[in-house]
Parts: sequence; C-alpha cells; structure tokens
Amino acid sequence: MKFCVCIKQVPDVQAAVQTGRMVLNAYDASAVEEALVLNAENGDPVDLVLVGPSTATETIRKALAMGATDATHLVAEDGGEADSHSIAALLASHFEGHEYDVILTGKQSQDSDAGLAGAMLAERLSLPYATNAVGLAVEGNKLVVTRQGDSGQEIIALETPCLVTCSNDMNNPRIPALKGIMAAKRKQIATEHVAAPSARTAHSGTVDPPGREPGIKLEGEPEDIVADLVRRLDTEAGVL
Amino acid sequence: MSSILVFCSVQDGRIKRSSLEAMSRAREVASEAGLSLSAAILGSESGNLSSEAMSYGAEQVFTVSNPVLDSHLNAPALSALESIIREASPRMMVAASTESVKDILGALAIRCDAAVLPDVATFEMSGNQVACQRPVMAAKKLASTSSAHPLVFVSVRSGSYEASRSPVSGTVTDVPFSFDDATLRQALREVVTTASDTVDLSEARVVVSAGRGVRDESGRALVQELADITGAAIGASRAVVETGLFPATAQIGQTGKVVSPDLYFAVGISGAVQHTAGMANSRIIVAINKDADAPIFDIATYGLVGDCFTILPLLNAALKEAKD
Amino acid sequence: MEEKFDCIIVGGGIAGLSAAMTLAKANARFLLIERGEFCGAKNVSGGVLWGSDLARLVPEYWEEDGGFERFVSHRRLTFMDEQSAFSVDFKSDHFKETPYTGVTVLRAVFDEWLAGKVQEAIDASAHPDESFLATDILVEEVVQEDGRVTGIRAGDEVFHADCVIIAEGVNNLLTRQIELEKEYVPGDHVAVGVKEVLKLDEARLADRFQLNGRSGLTNEFVGACSEGVEGGGFLYTNKDSISLGLVLGMNDLRDKGKTPYDVLNSFKEHPVVADMIRDAETVEYSAHVVSTGDIKGMPSEIYADGVMIAGEAAHLLLNAGKAIQGMDYAMRSGILAAETVVEAKKANDFSSRMLGNYRKALESSYVLQDMKSFQQAVHLLHRQEMFSTVPNLICDFGRQFFTIDGKPTPKASAMMRAAIKRHASYWDLVKLGLKGAKAL
Ligand SMILES: Cc1cc2nc3c(=O)[nH]c(=O)nc-3n(C[C@H](O)[C@H](O)[C@H](O)COP(=O)(O)OP(=O)(O)OC[C@H]3O[C@@H](n4cnc5c(N)ncnc54)[C@H](O)[C@@H]3O)c2cc1C
Ligand SMILES: Cc1cc2nc3c(=O)[nH]c(=O)nc-3n(C[C@H](O)[C@H](O)[C@H](O)COP(=O)(O)OP(=O)(O)OC[C@H]3O[C@@H](n4cnc5c(N)ncnc54)[C@H](O)[C@@H]3O)c2cc1C
Ligand SMILES: Nc1ncnc2c1ncn2[C@@H]1O[C@H](COP(=O)(O)O)[C@@H](O)[C@H]1O
Repeated sequence: MKFCVCIKQVPDVQAAVQTGRMVLNAYDASAVEEALVLNAENGDPVDLVLVGPSTATETIRKALAMGATDATHLVAEDGGEADSHSIAALLASHFEGHEYDVILTGKQSQDSDAGLAGAMLAERLSLPYATNAVGLAVEGNKLVVTRQGDSGQEIIALETPCLVTCSNDMNNPRIPALKGIMAAKRKQIATEHVAAPSARTAHSGTVDPPGREPGIKLEGEPEDIVADLVRRLDTEAGVL
Repeated sequence: MSSILVFCSVQDGRIKRSSLEAMSRAREVASEAGLSLSAAILGSESGNLSSEAMSYGAEQVFTVSNPVLDSHLNAPALSALESIIREASPRMMVAASTESVKDILGALAIRCDAAVLPDVATFEMSGNQVACQRPVMAAKKLASTSSAHPLVFVSVRSGSYEASRSPVSGTVTDVPFSFDDATLRQALREVVTTASDTVDLSEARVVVSAGRGVRDESGRALVQELADITGAAIGASRAVVETGLFPATAQIGQTGKVVSPDLYFAVGISGAVQHTAGMANSRIIVAINKDADAPIFDIATYGLVGDCFTILPLLNAALKEAKD
Repeated sequence: MEEKFDCIIVGGGIAGLSAAMTLAKANARFLLIERGEFCGAKNVSGGVLWGSDLARLVPEYWEEDGGFERFVSHRRLTFMDEQSAFSVDFKSDHFKETPYTGVTVLRAVFDEWLAGKVQEAIDASAHPDESFLATDILVEEVVQEDGRVTGIRAGDEVFHADCVIIAEGVNNLLTRQIELEKEYVPGDHVAVGVKEVLKLDEARLADRFQLNGRSGLTNEFVGACSEGVEGGGFLYTNKDSISLGLVLGMNDLRDKGKTPYDVLNSFKEHPVVADMIRDAETVEYSAHVVSTGDIKGMPSEIYADGVMIAGEAAHLLLNAGKAIQGMDYAMRSGILAAETVVEAKKANDFSSRMLGNYRKALESSYVLQDMKSFQQAVHLLHRQEMFSTVPNLICDFGRQFFTIDGKPTPKASAMMRAAIKRHASYWDLVKLGLKGAKAL
C-alpha cells in the first residue's frame, strides 16, 4: 500500500534543560516505522510530509534516513501561531493533489499534546479513520487497526483510503544506520512555501505548573521505613 | 438562551465520573456566564441515564439511542453528536478527556465548525472567550490558551474538578437519528479486554502503579496484593507494559491515561516525564524505588528507598494489620 | 555502493568536531560518527574553553548566540577550610577584547552548535554530499588490514577511509583495541568529574557575581571542598546558570569509601558555596571520568599506519591547579590531526611515517610543551598537603589577619608562623614551597 506519514518537528521534551534542540515527534517516528515494516516486502513507497520552518529539514532527513521514500516540506516560516486546525487545513490541501492508500499521523504532538490534527485531516478529506493505533495489518485492500480504547483494545477494519493516528506503543522506531543517513542526505526534498491559515485558538504563554510540597525520603531498615510510612499515611496524610 | 452542552461518556451503564466532574465545572461556568446547562448522552441506554445527568444540573438532556452507537465506531458517534449539536446549538461543548472522546473531537470540530481546547486542566468563560490552562511539554508546563470562536469544544482531564450534585428537573429530548450502515467504511472486529480492563483507572481513589522494577510474576502478585488491601486500581508504566506483565489499558502517562487519585503508589518506577505527566496531580504519592536518585522521589510525598521485593511484603502486612 | 572517505572521525566531541571543521574547510571527504543521540548529548565539562582556537574554526563566533555562555573576565582561586575561604582574585577589562581567551560553555548546547557549523562548512565545501555527520551510531571496531587501519565497523556496516582519527574521549576503548594504549589504565591516571548545572535568573546571576553583559567568573576551589578526598572544585557562570562541580581522585575516593555525589552535596553546603548558589535550582547532574593529565597516562604512541588519536583519547589534558585544560587541548589536537590528513592526502601517503607529522606538530605546540613543563605541578597537586594542610594554613592565616578584636595585633609574619605551627612543620612546608616554585 502507498503510505504517507505526516511528521512534525518538536522540541525535545525529555531534556532537563531546554536547549532549543528539535527532534522528530516520537509518535510520528512510530508511524514511519510501522509503514516501513508493512511495506518492507512489497517495496511500495512510504512518503513524508512536514509543515514547518526551513530548519525542520533536519527532522525530515532523520525520517528519510529510517528508510522513507520521498518527502515534501511545506515551508511555513512563522508557525508560532498555528494550531492543529491550521496544520490540518494545510495538510488537507497537500493531499488533494496526492493519492495515498493510507495516511498516518502521530496520535498527538509531544509538545502540545493536542491529539487533534489526525482526525481533523481525516474529516477534511472525508476518509474513514481510527485513532490511537497500537497495531496495523494489511488485509487485501483493508487496513486492520488495533487501537487502544478506554477499556481494552478494539480491532477495527478500515476501507482504504483511510487515515490512522499512531501511538508510540506500536513499536520501537529503528535508529537509522550509516547507509540510511548517507542516502537520506542525497535525497531531494520537494519544498513548497505555504502560509498557515489562521488558527482557531490563541496561545498566551506558559507557566510552571504548581509545584508540589517537597516530600520526605525515608531511608533505613525496611521494617522501620514501612512502619514510618504507614503511620504517616494514617496520621499525616489521612488516606488510610 | 444558549447553553453549555456536556457530552457524557457512558461505561457499564453509568455516566463516567470524569464526565460528571466536567459537568460540575460546566455548571459553574454556565451559571457565571448566564448560560443554561444541557447534556448529551449516546447509546441504547441513554434514556435511563437522563435522570443522573439532571441530578448534576442538566436542564435539558439530548439523547440519541441507536444500537449502532454501542459499536465503538467513530463514524456513527460523530453523526449522532453532530445532530445533537445542530439541535442544541450550544456556545460550548464540554466532555471528559477519555479515549473515545479524543477519538472524535477533531473530526467533530471540522464538521461543526468548532474550535477545540483539548485535555484542559481548568477552563472558564471570560467575556466572549473560552479560556483554559492545559499541560504541555509532557506536563512540564501549563499553557494558557483561549478561543473566541462561536463554538468551542473543551475536553477536561480527569480529576481536574470535583463531581458535585445539584439536582434540577429537566427535559429530555430524543434527537431523531438514522444511520445507514451501508455508508460505514469501518467495521469493528473485536474488543479484546482482560479482567483488569474493566476497572476505570481514572475513577479510582487509590492507584497502585507498577514499573519495570516489578520485574516478574512474583512482583506482580505483590502489587496485586497491595491493590487488594487498599482497594486500588492497578496502573503501570510503559516499560512494564512492554514486558507483557500488565495490560496496555493500565498504562499511565503521556501516551496512556491521566489519573489523580488521593493516593498513588509508584512501585519500581523511575519517574520519566512521560510517566509523571499522567499522575503528578495525585494528592499523596508514595514511591518505592531502590535507586535513591530516581527522579520519582522529586515528586513523591513519601519516598521509600529500597527493594520493592523486600518492602512490599512488609507494607502489605502492615497495611493489613492497620486495617484490622 | 562502496565509498572510501579521505578520513573517518570517531567521536563528535570537541576534538572530533574540530578535526571535522578543519577537513570541511579543506574540501576533504569525511565521515564523522558520534554515538550520542546528538553531538554533546552526554558530554561533560566543567565548562571553560580556554585559548582562542575557536575563533580559528568559527571566526567571530562571539557574534552568535550558541557558541558560548560567557567570556571569562574574572578569575578566582579559593582556598577553603571548614568555615573560611581565602581567595586570590583577578579581574580585568583586558579580557573583554575579542578573540576571548576563555569562554564558558555548556556542552549539550556547544557541541551541537559546533556540529551545526561543521554542517554549514560541509554544505559550502566542494563535496557537500560526500561528507557526513552521523549521530546515534556506535563505532564498535577499528578495522585493520595488514597491520594498518583502513576503516571502522558500526553494527554490520563497514566503512573505509585513507585514515581514521580516533577522538573518542578519555574512555578510549578503540585506542586500546588497536593496542596503542594498555588494556587497563591505572586508576591514578584518571579522576572522576561530577557536575551540576544550577539555574539562576540572568539578572540575579549578574548581580550576585558582578557580571556585566556577557562577562563571566571562574572560581576554582582547593581544600575543604572535597571532604579530604584528593581533588578540587569549580564554579563557572553561564548565561543564566551556574556550573558547579568537583574533580576527585578515583583511587582516593575508593580508599576513603566516598561517593562523588556525597562529596558534591557537602561542597554545596559549604557556607561559602551555599551563599553563591542560594535559590539556584539544580537542573542537571552528570558525572564523567577525566584524565589527571599525567603524561604517563598517554598512549604509547598517538599515531600509527592510517590512524591518529586526538583529544582526551590521547590523555591530552592539563590540570595544574589554576584551570582544567582539556577542551582547548582537544581542539588544538583535532585541528593538527586534520591538518596532517590534508598534508597526507596531498602526498597520497597515509603511512605512520607521514602521520608522525601530527606528533611533531603537537610537540611544537603549547599542548605537549605545557604538559611536559607542568608535570611536576600536576604531581604536586595530588599530594595530600595540597588539599588539607595548605588550604587550612592559608585560611588560618587569613582569619588572624582579617580579625580586629580589640587586642594587640601581631605582625603578619608572626601570624604566619603561628598558623604554620598549628598545621605543618616548617621543613615540610619549605620543601613544598620549593617544589611549587619549581613546578609552576
Ligand atoms: C512519546 C513518549 C511517550 C511515553 N509515554 C509513556 C506513558 O504514557 N507512560 C509511561 O509510563 N511511560 C511513557 N514513556 C516512556 C518513559 O519515557 C519511560 O521510559 C518509562 O516511563 C519508564 O518506565 P519505568 O520507570 O517502569 O522503567 P525504568 O525507567 O526502567 O525504571 C525502573 C525503575 O525501577 C527501579 N527498580 C528496579 N528494580 C527495583 C526493585 N527491585 N525495587 C525497587 N525499585 C526497583 C529502578 O531503580 C528504576 O528507577 C513514553 C516515552 C515516550 C518517548
Ligand atoms: C567535570 C569535568 C569538568 C571539566 N572541566 C573542564 C574545563 O573547565 N575546561 C576544559 O578545557 N576541560 C574540562 N574538562 C575536560 C574536558 O571535558 C575534556 O578534556 C574534553 O571534553 C575532551 O574532548 P574530546 O573531544 O577529546 O572528548 P569528549 O568530549 O569526551 O568527546 C568524545 C566523543 O566521542 C564519542 N564516542 C566515544 N566513543 C565512541 C564510539 N566508539 N563511537 C562513536 N562515538 C564515540 C563520545 O560520545 C563523545 O561525544 C572537564 C571534564 C570533566 C569531567
Ligand atoms: N507541522 C506538522 N507537519 C506535519 N504533520 C503534523 C504537523 N503538526 C502535527 N502533525 C501531525 O499531527 C499529529 C499531531 O496532532 P496534534 O497533536 O493535533 O498536533 C502529529 O503526530 C503529526 O502526524
């Protein structure tokens, strides 16, 4: 099947100190991995599309180095105001000119944790879709999705063309090998300049979440610290 | 009068507590903004639940009952909610941030021309805006986001507000709905559940959560015992779910569920940001970890430094004794 | 697709990136491989890059944001006992002029910034598509054929080059693998460095340390900073954070049964240090092995057929008490190794005879000259007296000298005699003093 994966460049949320370093959204990396695995035998393409500033090329190269086929970079220099809504609109116009059997997105962006763009894009393209996928399989012209629901895993067959948003619980994305890194660097990335349509939400800054009261570390003989804990849970915390 | 419409998620024939929490907050916001409060309930049992929605303040309850809505598929749910929204034309739709709500929110927003503030920790109306605070960057930051769009959807993280009753006698409107199964381009094959999948983590007042440190079956038994003694639901880190020792439904964190119980035990969990993103709002956090430098201790109310295979048997015995 | 590079560089630390920059500018075709997720991911330094070689690699780097945190214009050496601190302090506007002679850096930022500059240089070179910076890849083996190095292996991929520059840092497994270094490096040739980055609002930082614009302070500590363990401490100011840490003798730590973490915590609680870091929040903790700069720790040779060793992999480092110089040595040696590659390519000769020019260049540079002339100081620094008797004595003297308590004040020389009497024998001290004078 012909896949296209929507990939996003996000700040490295795991870093203790924000250094401005940008990485491939982990959920999107899982989507790329899954598409590569599904197409490993048949050699069908796994294309990429990214909306972001020109410096996001690095992230496209990273996903190409995993083994993706071709990439389109929709260059939006000032993406600061964009929300899932505007991104989905841009992606929708990209897909109007391209035919794919399956579009994959991440289930959410690691930085904004919105989790909207995938379903918004599907609706704009009138595609059947499933979210929060933890497994994919191809069956004839159907895509069988295992998604993590509220209580258990739901197995849903989608007619293609369709869209699926992927969880990182799906797989562990490969780390590109040297040959992949070299091949990716030599690939042409199609670029197209776009202006993000206006967002429906506005962002007015971030604050640190309310800090927790510093806790107590109990160290010592297991018997003593357990007794101490039970006493504190009862008298101090009142949760027993 | 325009309204705030609360979409109620249903599980096991009850409205989920997280939906009632969202409804309780929506009631406050509605009364401050001079709006009415209404509720939307989908599914074949929706009629029976109207009175529960009213006891939390819903003056009007919109129901759609059709067996296709029990099928876990998003296309019928989307159409049903779309019909209700057209009927109710609310200023705002509020829902609990469950997986099934996350599944449809984006598509519904396109269909109904709405803006979305997803997964919020707080929300309010200020002037003609809906404003919220929502965790971002794996919950390391709280972002202030707002929308002045005429229709705004808000999904609320569980545990953000208290659920409180405020009974009214309201009206029930059964919204006409027909769905042509032939148009479905998706089919549910199966729902795979395990025994523990039926416990709703986000409703539990006590959660015992296991990490990779709970390395095997004997560790799992100790965790289970602690959960039994404390009446807790069982959670897990991604690392231990990967080993297959705990079901994926138990995963807590950025990818998994958000919980905020009164008491959270983190057993053998290092405390990566993606995990704490889902539990840092627990009232009391007890961490058991043999590594005194594990980051989980930075947020733990009580941190026990030690081997969980030594600590848990002692703790289980002591708690049992304290209970008797 | 079998391609052969002019050079493969193992390690994207300071030495490797400096070599890469030099090669890119000389239009060479090379592959740099770094095992970290990005350059700088796990690299640790206290944080002062001394000297001005950076300006050779990236002219006018100070016009950019990423290249450095602060330039050093204020230096301080502090002797501590349990309660007191006696400092030698030097501040000068002279240091404000570019190119700076010392800048503080945070490696996770700096290395990645420098890697970005190297990428720019590759893009601007004659072979933009034939040189690569590859991260997240571990070189497992240096490939040898007929006794000469011909390439590297990473996983199941093998790549060949005319020569390999090993810039893998102090834990030099590949250098040992090709038998230029003994399998086990004696514990007294390595120390443990521990470091925290403490965040402090830029304005408060500037106020607290009397900084102006991008000017910065470096402070080294000797004495009660290390709980009696051989070693010393440092505090460096960054743009909006403080780097604070210790370098501790590996053997001595083990003998005294202490962990670096505990020693660092007690250092942070010393009243003098506590005042400097008040309200600063620890955002990063790291530990790393560091060479003591003992010349005996160096590999038996730093080149062979088809290979050169650069940076701390070759134990190029000087720590003679007033500063740690590892990054500038890494930078200079990386540059010199790359220049040797360029020469060798011209002559199409990558034999050990040709690559021996690398050693010659290092011998005539300040790197090996300073390492040789300050060996005695390095050894002196490891003597017990240097982190116990001497700082105690100096602080004792300082306390008397600066006390005014309504009693007749003795002359300074008498105070000194009294202090010495309490802490050491005259004779030992004279011997130590003479050694010190000779060593520096
Ligand atoms: C995009 C993304 C999303 C993610 N989402 C999630 C998520 O939703 N939920 C989640 O949990 N993770 C998530 N992760 C993974 C997360 O980063 C961590 O890898 C994971 O939380 C680690 O789980 P852990 O603490 O159980 O394992 P580890 O990090 O391996 O920690 C195990 C801990 O157990 C301790 N231990 C070991 N043995 C014992 C013993 N006998 N007694 C006591 N203590 C012991 C160890 O000291 C250690 O601290 C996500 C990662 C990414 C990239
Ligand atoms: C606490 C502390 C404080 C210090 N303070 C200072 C200071 O203030 N000033 C100063 O000048 N120096 C200081 N140093 C010393 C300085 O950090 C080092 O001397 C310097 O980093 C050496 O640079 P390098 O490029 O040789 O090695 P490194 O910076 O260690 O780089 C080696 C690189 O090679 C990579 N690598 C290793 N093996 C492989 C492999 N097999 N495959 C692929 N990649 C590999 C590593 O990941 C690493 O990125 C300090 C050191 C410590 C620990
Ligand atoms: N700038 C972007 N370029 C391409 N895809 C994007 C972009 N932003 C979001 N996406 C896709 O949408 C998913 C996340 O949606 P959301 O959480 O709403 O931002 C990501 O995992 C991507 O697959």
